Amino acid sequence: MKTYDAVVIGGGIIGLSCTYYLLKKGKSVCLVEKNEIGSGASGACDDMILLQSKAPGISLELAIESLELYRSLPEDLNMDIGFHTRGGMILIDKCEHIDLMNDYVEKQKHYGLDIKIIDKTEVRKKHPYVKENIIASTFGTKDSQVDPMRVLKAFVKNSSDMGMVLNRGKNITEIEKHSSWWKVRFDDESSVETENIIICAGAWSHEVGKLVEVNIPVTSLKGQILVTEQLPPLGKENIWSSDYIVSKLNPELSEGDSTYKKLGIGLSFSQTEDGNYLIGSTREKGIYDKNTTCKAITILTKQITDFFPILKGVNIIRTFAGFRPLSQDGKPIISEVKGKEGLFVATGHGGDGVALAPITGKLMSQLVCGERPSIPLEALSIDRFG
Amino acid sequence: MSKIICRCEEITEDEIIEAISNGARSVTEIKKFTRAGMGLCQGRTCRKSIERILARETGRKVEDIGISSYRKPVRPTKMGSMK
Repeated sequence: MKTYDAVVIGGGIIGLSCTYYLLKKGKSVCLVEKNEIGSGASGACDDMILLQSKAPGISLELAIESLELYRSLPEDLNMDIGFHTRGGMILIDKCEHIDLMNDYVEKQKHYGLDIKIIDKTEVRKKHPYVKENIIASTFGTKDSQVDPMRVLKAFVKNSSDMGMVLNRGKNITEIEKHSSWWKVRFDDESSVETENIIICAGAWSHEVGKLVEVNIPVTSLKGQILVTEQLPPLGKENIWSSDYIVSKLNPELSEGDSTYKKLGIGLSFSQTEDGNYLIGSTREKGIYDKNTTCKAITILTKQITDFFPILKGVNIIRTFAGFRPLSQDGKPIISEVKGKEGLFVATGHGGDGVALAPITGKLMSQLVCGERPSIPLEALSIDRFG
Repeated sequence: MSKIICRCEEITEDEIIEAISNGARSVTEIKKFTRAGMGLCQGRTCRKSIERILARETGRKVEDIGISSYRKPVRPTKMGSMK
């Protein structure tokens, strides 16, 4: 018997979810976090569980399943995690986006999403403060949100109660493969032995992969977000612009000057339970600098006050940036590593980590326990990168 | 009732101690777990108190408690004034 059944590397929402679901299956787990809980992406993001933004296919399928898990998590975790289903709208203010969005909505309907395109009158009925020259919008009823901080806290609390050992503030210096187990060494000379290792190191997964000689093609996608003072709701549904979808799915079609393109700007606008609006966001590839920039803040402000002119009189109280783990093809990696028994990878969720955390943890616990995953994972295997 | 430490978000000393017992070990983690320091003043009032409570509860010195991050803007700024 080794010290642990599993060592999970990375204390973000993905690592914590994997830990929680493994503990529920009776496994002993040590979670390793070099900085702080949620310090990479999970504690520096918005709060949305978007279905509309997911590319039709496996990403959408995962999101739908994950949303179902979120519905029962407040009860399972015995904590209010700020889960709400308010629906969502993707505002369209460019004629050239209409065809693309029509096509997109049709594909999403195919997966059973309750989503349609509504006209200007309807848009302004739901969101009276949106600008005059809006053309149309999508409208989906299932888009939801959670408070990621509360999810982190609830996972830490419940997992600690189930016996999770939290090993924090240490760097891993070496990972040794033995016959059927692993030894993980830390920079303070301590070490642990484990049957399984699960790499959930977000934007740093590539670095951790090097320790076990596995190429994990993931880099940072920095997202800068603005926080407003607390306000009464402007409308019920959370908001995105069609630019966001275009920026996410077809960056080459993105409008605007080169600064917009370089920063990957696409509007997202949601209200937290406490009343603060979160205004996002940039999508800056390969950047690992936590500071926010005046340029991005100005562009995001310009964009949101263009859509909602009433916000010109509203204060920004904070800005922050997170490093979302972006894989080479933009899809998550939820996979065992062939030829390295007991090694698993769960990362590369991009901006969907919060949305996909529960399903990722559940699937990973099935993989580690040698069960057949409840959703086929071939498309998310690390083998796809060769 | 326990003392209010973060006045903007009305977070009490008991809530901060509870966050520490739930695993929070830095000012940032306390902030994320409780919202203390996330309000309009962004921790200008309560930052020091939280550092002291964390030091006391975890048996560390205040100077060994790292500071919570500072981000733009320095004070609340109207969006209409940003050019």
